[in-house]
Amino acid sequence: MSTNAPATDSPVSLRNATVRGRLRDLSLDLRPGRLIGLVGPNGSGKSTLLQVAAGLLPSLGEVRWSGRLVDEIAMPERARQVAWVPQEARFEFGFPVRGVVQQGRYAHGDDEAGVDAALARFDLGALAKRPVNALSGGERQRVLLARALVTAAPVQLWDEPLAPLDPRHGLEVLLLAKELARAGGTVVMSLHDLRVANCLDEVLVLAHGELRAAGKPETVLTAGLLHEVFGVRARTGETLILELP
Amino acid sequence: MTAMPFIKSEATRGRMLPVLIVLLVVLAGVSLVLGEIAMGPARLWAGLTGTDAEASLVIWQLRLPRVLVAMLTGAALSTGGLVMQAYFRNSLASPDLLGVSSGAAAGAVLIISAGWAALAIWVLPLAAVAGATLATLAVLALAKRGASSERLLLAGVALNALLGAVTSYVISTGELFARSSQLLFWLFGGLEDRTWLHVWAATPIIVAVALVWPLGRQMDLLSLGEREAQSLGVEVRGLRRRMLVLATVLAATATAVAGIVGFVGLVVPHALRLAVGPEHRRLVRLCVLGGAAFVLACDLAGRLAGGLRLGIVTALVGGPFFLWLLRKRA
Repeated sequence: MSTNAPATDSPVSLRNATVRGRLRDLSLDLRPGRLIGLVGPNGSGKSTLLQVAAGLLPSLGEVRWSGRLVDEIAMPERARQVAWVPQEARFEFGFPVRGVVQQGRYAHGDDEAGVDAALARFDLGALAKRPVNALSGGERQRVLLARALVTAAPVQLWDEPLAPLDPRHGLEVLLLAKELARAGGTVVMSLHDLRVANCLDEVLVLAHGELRAAGKPETVLTAGLLHEVFGVRARTGETLILELP
Repeated sequence: MTAMPFIKSEATRGRMLPVLIVLLVVLAGVSLVLGEIAMGPARLWAGLTGTDAEASLVIWQLRLPRVLVAMLTGAALSTGGLVMQAYFRNSLASPDLLGVSSGAAAGAVLIISAGWAALAIWVLPLAAVAGATLATLAVLALAKRGASSERLLLAGVALNALLGAVTSYVISTGELFARSSQLLFWLFGGLEDRTWLHVWAATPIIVAVALVWPLGRQMDLLSLGEREAQSLGVEVRGLRRRMLVLATVLAATATAVAGIVGFVGLVVPHALRLAVGPEHRRLVRLCVLGGAAFVLACDLAGRLAGGLRLGIVTALVGGPFFLWLLRKRA
């Protein structure tokens, strides 16, 4: 996965990233054009890893974006490079949904490029004027994803985007993530539902703040590893499969 | 807020600015005209232009300084409240509830009792800023940004009690003749006997408001979360520092010239947010005007009620409003 020299062609590369008690000596290079899943038990460091990669959480070690140290990149430029979606957001104030999505354009001179398209894409057209703090958890999540989308950042780091979504919106988000990756972007999403693993180009498995395994889902997610990391017995067989019509 | 299913129309929101300007002008006019020596608009004009000596004295030396201090105090407290609410991401944060005003009062009282306040005009405001800064730092230590309302308010309760005790102690050990009115002033603000000296001492408010003015958009992003704001391109660390300094200076300067005037920083931003939505660019402008108008109106009401102190009037209005807010959140 990673040698010790940072890869300059990698949009995001970590070297020995360490956050006390949460992440231990973690090195990896994210590759462009991939949809990457980040899995691991609760408390394994998934959110921490995403925040460190996004340059939002200081860590020991190095974080580089396309070869440049993230600390040396100005905030607005960072926002144009990497978008981050938090696991959940608490909204104290009732900003209209459209206004929250448009915040994604802050680093682009606060224009409105792509805002309406993102609202439509996430089924938020009818909610555009609603105060964001009056929405349901799933609706709020779609607002946050739409905001990340309008940043047009080539690297998208999403923290459990699927968890609060209904099956249809979940599938649509997966489809979008795939499209972004096909278009040359790098999409990393943490997730718990391993049934979507077949959609992923790559899986990173975290346990106890360490990178346990990385690679194609079919080679990485073996019954042995699932048992070891999650303490579950994996069985293949008849299962419910949902698809977009 | 949550009770509001849809944001108000742009037309309604646009109307707030002219409405507040007219309200402010009317309130200022009425404040200048009313008083022991009543005068009509003609005499007011004669007084302002100096053609009527008695009216001129009353207006220029008594009423105009009071009106100006009232407006500056109101603008400072409501804008300071708005900034603190964005900073703490909590619409219940305000300089008085968090103990920052009490810190300013304690600082001022300590300097007065030490006999240093008369050294220069800026000594008292500076002492107030120092006291307010210490109180702000204490709040930060007790309740982190994004802390629950309970934690934030409890920190404020504790600080208010502690700093109020400091103020009361210092005044009660001072010279007897000065005690009662001084104590009242620093625990319940008022605008009696304000002079041009107080107007000059309040000028940092104008500077601080001017510096808050361009931060509106960034405050929007920050009020939705610190990491979120940073990920969207806001220089969060610098912004936070600036907001904290400005809110502290606003609250401290207002307290230095008018004593502790409670609830303005809570009521005005909240009412305006209900009226026009949460966008800070718009709210900053409206808070300046709305705060000035609110304090002028409260001062006027107190004068008409036979000399009720400003701090008591704002508490009478703000207390029930605060309780209503708490009930709504519960």
